[in-house]
Amino acid sequence: MTASYVSNLTPAAPHEARMSFSGRGREFLRLLVTGSLFQIPTFGFYRFWLITKLRRHLWANTQVGGEAFEYTGTAKELLIGFLIALAVLTPIYLGYFILGIIAEEQKALASIPLVLIMYVLMHFASYRVRRCRATRTVFRGVRFWMKGSGWAYAMRAILWDIATMLTLGLALPWATASLERYRMRHTYFGSIQGSFTRSGWGLFKRGWWVWGLGMASILGALALLTYLDAIKAKNINIFGGVILLLPIPVVLALLPLVMAIFTRWQMEGLRVGEVAVSSNLAKGAFYGTFLKLIFSSIGFLLVFGVLFSLGGYLFVEKLQALQLGEISWETGSVIVLGALAYLALLLGMGIIQRYFMGRGLWAVVVNSITVSNLQAVNAAVAAGQPSGVLGEGLADALDFEIGI
Amino acid sequence: MADAVFYDGETARRRTVSLKIGASSLDLHEGDDWIASWPTGAVRRREAASGVLRLMLEGGPALARLDVTDPGDQASIRAHCARLELGEPKERTGRIIFWSALAAVSLTLCVVFLLPIVAERLTPLIPLSVERRLGTAVDNQVKFIFGGKVCDGTRGLAALETLSARLRASTDVGMETHIAVLESKIPNAIALPGGRIYLFKGLLDQAESADEVAGVLAHEMGHAAHRDSLRSLIQSGGASYLLGLLFGDVSGGGAVVIATQLLIDSAHSREAETAADAFAAQAMLALGRPPKAMGLLLKRIEGNEKKLPAFLSTHPVTDQRLKSLEQQAPAHTGEPLLSEEEWRALKEICKTS
Ligand SMILES: [Zn+2]
Repeated sequence: MTASYVSNLTPAAPHEARMSFSGRGREFLRLLVTGSLFQIPTFGFYRFWLITKLRRHLWANTQVGGEAFEYTGTAKELLIGFLIALAVLTPIYLGYFILGIIAEEQKALASIPLVLIMYVLMHFASYRVRRCRATRTVFRGVRFWMKGSGWAYAMRAILWDIATMLTLGLALPWATASLERYRMRHTYFGSIQGSFTRSGWGLFKRGWWVWGLGMASILGALALLTYLDAIKAKNINIFGGVILLLPIPVVLALLPLVMAIFTRWQMEGLRVGEVAVSSNLAKGAFYGTFLKLIFSSIGFLLVFGVLFSLGGYLFVEKLQALQLGEISWETGSVIVLGALAYLALLLGMGIIQRYFMGRGLWAVVVNSITVSNLQAVNAAVAAGQPSGVLGEGLADALDFEIGI
Repeated sequence: MADAVFYDGETARRRTVSLKIGASSLDLHEGDDWIASWPTGAVRRREAASGVLRLMLEGGPALARLDVTDPGDQASIRAHCARLELGEPKERTGRIIFWSALAAVSLTLCVVFLLPIVAERLTPLIPLSVERRLGTAVDNQVKFIFGGKVCDGTRGLAALETLSARLRASTDVGMETHIAVLESKIPNAIALPGGRIYLFKGLLDQAESADEVAGVLAHEMGHAAHRDSLRSLIQSGGASYLLGLLFGDVSGGGAVVIATQLLIDSAHSREAETAADAFAAQAMLALGRPPKAMGLLLKRIEGNEKKLPAFLSTHPVTDQRLKSLEQQAPAHTGEPLLSEEEWRALKEICKTS
C-alpha cells in the first residue's frame, strides 16, 4: 500500500524505457494460417477479420517499459471502409469508361489518364490510413489522434515526388523529412502534440553512399554497354541485355540496408511533447529477416512444385482429356483441384510475406527502440475521436499498403 | 491481494491500485482512496500481451483500462466475471461465412438472371457510334490476344473485298462492316460489336469453296445486324465486372480482358445462332448460291478437329441446323461469287510475298 503512494509522489519511472515486442511467433502464425484458410470459403472477405486480429496481436505485444499498446479498431469498420471505397471508386471507373466511349475526342480524354486520379487518391488514402490507425491506437488509456488534411498531404507528396524524380532520387531524404514532419505535427497523444526533429540533410549524410552505389552500378552498366558498342563487340545484343540487368541484384541487395537506415532515422526523429525516441537499429539489422523471407519462400515453392507435379503425374490422363475439351465430373474436379492449388500458392506466399515483412521487421524495429522522458506523457489529457475508415477501404480496394 | 495498474481513460497517468474482488463488484482503491467499483457482470477482457489480463468496463469510460498481472487475481477475476469474453465477441466465423456466401449467391443470381434482361433491354438503346467505339476497344484486345497478325496479301485482300461487296449488296446489315482475316490456326470466325468481322485462317484453310466462306461471313453479318455481339459484350462485361468486385477488383481492369475472352470463346444463344443462320441463308439465296455450303464447312471442321472451337462445341452443328440450311436451295443459280483465281488468292491471303 505505501509503495503505491510513494510511486505516485516521486515518479519512479526511469528516464529511459526500452520498447520490446513480446509476441510469440507461433501465436502470430496460428492467427495467420487460420485466417488465411477462412478466406477461401468467404471469397476473401475474411481478410478484414484477419487483419484486425493481426493488428490487435501486434499492438498488444508492443510494450514501452512493460506497458502495452492497444488496437481498438474492428473488422466491421474495415469492411464498411471497403464498401465506402467501392461506392467512391465504382462511379469513377464507370464514369471514366462511359465518357471514354461517348466523348468524340477520345484522345483529349486519354490525356487525363485514370492512373493519375488513382495516384492522387493513393497519396490521399495513405494519409487517411495513418490517421485511421493512429486514432485506433491507445496507450495508457489515452488515444492517439490526428489533424491535417489528406488532400493537403497528397499535394505535398506529389510535389515532392516530382522533385525526387527530377533529381534522380537525391531529393528523397528531404521529401521524407518534410512529409514525416507534416504527419507528426498533426499527430497528438491526447493533449500532447507530436513533432519530427530530424532533417533531410541528416538522412542524406547517412545514406548518400548507398544512392551513389546504386547509381554507379546503373551508370557502370550503361558505360560498359557503350564501350562494347564502340568496339563493335560480337553478340552485343545478348550481352547488352545481361549487362542492363546487372544493376537489379545490386539494388535488391541494397534494399534492406536502405530500409534500415531510413527506419532508424525516422524513429529517432519521433517526438511526442517531451518524449523522445532513440534507436540502435544496425544497418544490417534487416538482412536476417530478408534472408529468412527468401529461403522460406524458396522452400515453400519447392515443396509446392513437387506436390503440384506429383498431382499432375497422377492426373495426367484427366489433364489430357481436359485438353481435348472433354467436360465431365472428373475433368471438372481436376479444374477445381487446380484452382485450389493456385489459391494455396497465393495464400502460402501471403502468409510468408506477412510473417516476415509484417511481424518480423516490426519486432526488429520495436526491440531497437529506447524511449526517454516517458514520464512526460503523464500530463496527457484524453482528446480526439476515431476517424473515418475511407482511407483503409481505398487502400484495400486499390491494393496498396497490403500486409498488416 | 497484489496491486494492479489502472488507467482512468481521462489522463495518461499510470495509477497503481489495490484490487478487491467480490462476487458483485471489483473495487479499486488507490492507497486509502476509493476510485471505482466495477460490477462484475460488466467487466470485459481486452487483447493484451501474454501474462497480462487487461480489463475494461462495458458502459464505463471507453478507454479506462485495468491491467492485472498477478496470476491469483487473474484466476479470481475469471471466476467472478462470467461475461468477461463478451466484449471480444468470440469469432463468429459461421456468420461471416454465411454473409459472404450470401453476397456471392446474390451476385451470381444477378449475373445469371438479371444481366441477360439488362443486356436485352440496353442493346437497342445504345447508339451505333457508341457500339463502334466499344468495338474498337474490343478489337484492340483481340489483336493483342492474337499477336495483331492481320493477313494482308494484296490479291487476297482484293478477293475478300469482292466477296464482302457482293454479300453487302444482297443484305442489309444496318451498319458498316469491316472484314479481315486473322492469322490463327483455330478454325473460327467472330463478329465484334460495331461491325468488325474476323475470319480465322484456320477456317479459311479448311474451306473448299467460296460459297462455304461466304456462308460463314453472311452468318457473322447476321450477328452484326442483330447486334448479338454487343448484347454478349454487355452481358460478359457486366458479369466479369460484378464477379471481379466480389474478389476486390474495383477497376474492372480484369473485366475487359475476361469479357473479350468470353466473347471469343463462347457462343451466342441458340436463338441468336438460328437467326444468324436464317440471315445467312437469305443472303445466299438472294445471290443464287447454296446456303448449305456453310453447313458442310462446319460439319467438316467438326470432323477434323480434336479440340473444337467453343462456337462449335457449345452449339454443335445439330442435324436440325444442317437440315434447315439444306432445305433452302436457290431457285436459280447465280454466277460464282469468286473466280477460280480470286478464290486461290483468298486462300493464300496470309502468305506474304
Ligand atoms: Zn454464330
